[in-house]
Amino acid sequence: MKSTSYNLVMSALYNGTKGSRPPAGNPTSVVCHGLMDLAGISFPEAHLDPHAMAELALAGHEIIGFDTVMPEYSVHQEAAALGCNVDWGNKDCMPDSRNFPYEDFSDVEVPENLLEKPSMRVVLDALSILRRHVGGKVAIIGKVMGPWTIAYHMAGTQNLLLRIGLGEEDKVIKMLRQLMPVSIAFAKAQFRAGADIVVLADHATGNLVGSYHYKELLLPIHQEMTSTIEGPLILHVCGNCLDRLELFADAGFDAYHFEWQVDAKVAVERVGHRMCLVGNVNNAQVLYQGAPDDVYRQVRYAVEAGVNIIAPECAVPLATPLENLKALVTAVHEGY
Amino acid sequence: MEESTYKMSDYIEQIKQAVVDAKHKDIEELVKRAIDEKTDLDMIVNNALISAMDIVGMKFSDNEIFVPEMLASAVTMKKALGIIKPLLTRKDAKSRGTIMIGTVKGDLHDIGKNLVIMMLEGAGFRIIDLGVDLSAERAVAAVAEFKPDILGLSALLTTTLPAMEEVIKILKTKGLRDSVKVMVGGAPVDLKFAQKIGADGYGKDAAEAVQLAKTLLTQN
Repeated sequence: MKSTSYNLVMSALYNGTKGSRPPAGNPTSVVCHGLMDLAGISFPEAHLDPHAMAELALAGHEIIGFDTVMPEYSVHQEAAALGCNVDWGNKDCMPDSRNFPYEDFSDVEVPENLLEKPSMRVVLDALSILRRHVGGKVAIIGKVMGPWTIAYHMAGTQNLLLRIGLGEEDKVIKMLRQLMPVSIAFAKAQFRAGADIVVLADHATGNLVGSYHYKELLLPIHQEMTSTIEGPLILHVCGNCLDRLELFADAGFDAYHFEWQVDAKVAVERVGHRMCLVGNVNNAQVLYQGAPDDVYRQVRYAVEAGVNIIAPECAVPLATPLENLKALVTAVHEGY
Repeated sequence: MEESTYKMSDYIEQIKQAVVDAKHKDIEELVKRAIDEKTDLDMIVNNALISAMDIVGMKFSDNEIFVPEMLASAVTMKKALGIIKPLLTRKDAKSRGTIMIGTVKGDLHDIGKNLVIMMLEGAGFRIIDLGVDLSAERAVAAVAEFKPDILGLSALLTTTLPAMEEVIKILKTKGLRDSVKVMVGGAPVDLKFAQKIGADGYGKDAAEAVQLAKTLLTQN
């Protein structure tokens, strides 16, 4: 096999032929101040303009050396399309929603022209631009929020979790079911636009809910989604999800993008034979506050553990030193 | 006498269990009945509500329950407190201390802070909630004005960690650092960071924050 970026990623995704080294991937954002400065593109422009969005994604490959390009830097594209008032932030601040349009759990109105809403269109257009530039050379990753994460934006995180605690799961399930088609439609459109892989980020994290919540409320929905969306899917759930790794594999995802809180060796031993593992270099202590040597040690630990695609555990903090991200790629280039 | 003692402890146990199990629909009726039957208010607060939230905190720390159940127990406890509070005399209503708490500047996430507040209230502390996106200047001005025993700072985003350090720096500049204990918490925070910025303590979750607050105040 030729060890091109695209080949390395796609082969690693299905635990196939190993090339000369593991791939370095970014299922979530690797944009930091240093990258924005060098690329000459900044937030919020890169959230709103497809050319800026694609160019910044490309900078992750050309300047840092990641084997993937992923052009969606926020978690609010679907929320904006569904009526949230999103503040798109600035160079120092990621976007955030300013309101929760369905706090009362009334029926979510999905617009007929959902995919034409500006926050959705921009991602689809950026993926097409990337396809034209690096299709077949670099693995192009799209990203959609799952219904659980969109529901946080629709109803408010605390409100949603409280409903579950108060035994009003029916309201939550109804909302998740109404939002599921949004995630499915966006994922399918991203594949059509040029994505090789789509990340489904659905934050039923270990720090908020238990594995029993995931199993009862979200697993059946994830199973429906993975059987409906045909292209390769990476599940992203932050936090310590040690208690639900097998459930993620049961959900039918091709890969799981995981955090440092889950030990790489344990993850590989438990589910490495059932799905590709992507991760899990620590953001807060290592990539943001650590030195290149710290990054090197974590990357080598993950490679030796058998993690298939080496990546930061989640979207990196904007103040992450660029040299630490480059150190991740350098350590991966040492090979197996 | 024996019968009333039995009844009282029975009510205490029932109220405690109702909070642990988040029986939010039944709690008000239960507390009213207990009060009608002359159950000691102080006992309800300390031996039922505070004890219940201690149990909830332990279960949360042990990953037996998660945020949904904890929020629901806190809501249940608040309903009970809503009935009891107007009946408490000034003497009965003594608090363990005053804690001022906020999510630091640049951070709009408040679920962790709110959980900590609910647990601290459950444990008998008086709380002043400074909300989210709290600037160092506003935090320090509030410390000068309200003179809390503890200032709690929360952050979810890694990018807002430096804002915690800024609060402590300004407290020092204004000569207020020794007048207040500072505790910090939130997903990207750890003990090493807390020590580095000169905080007095770090709690990894809401239950630990309660223990930390108790410890910090016994050090006075």
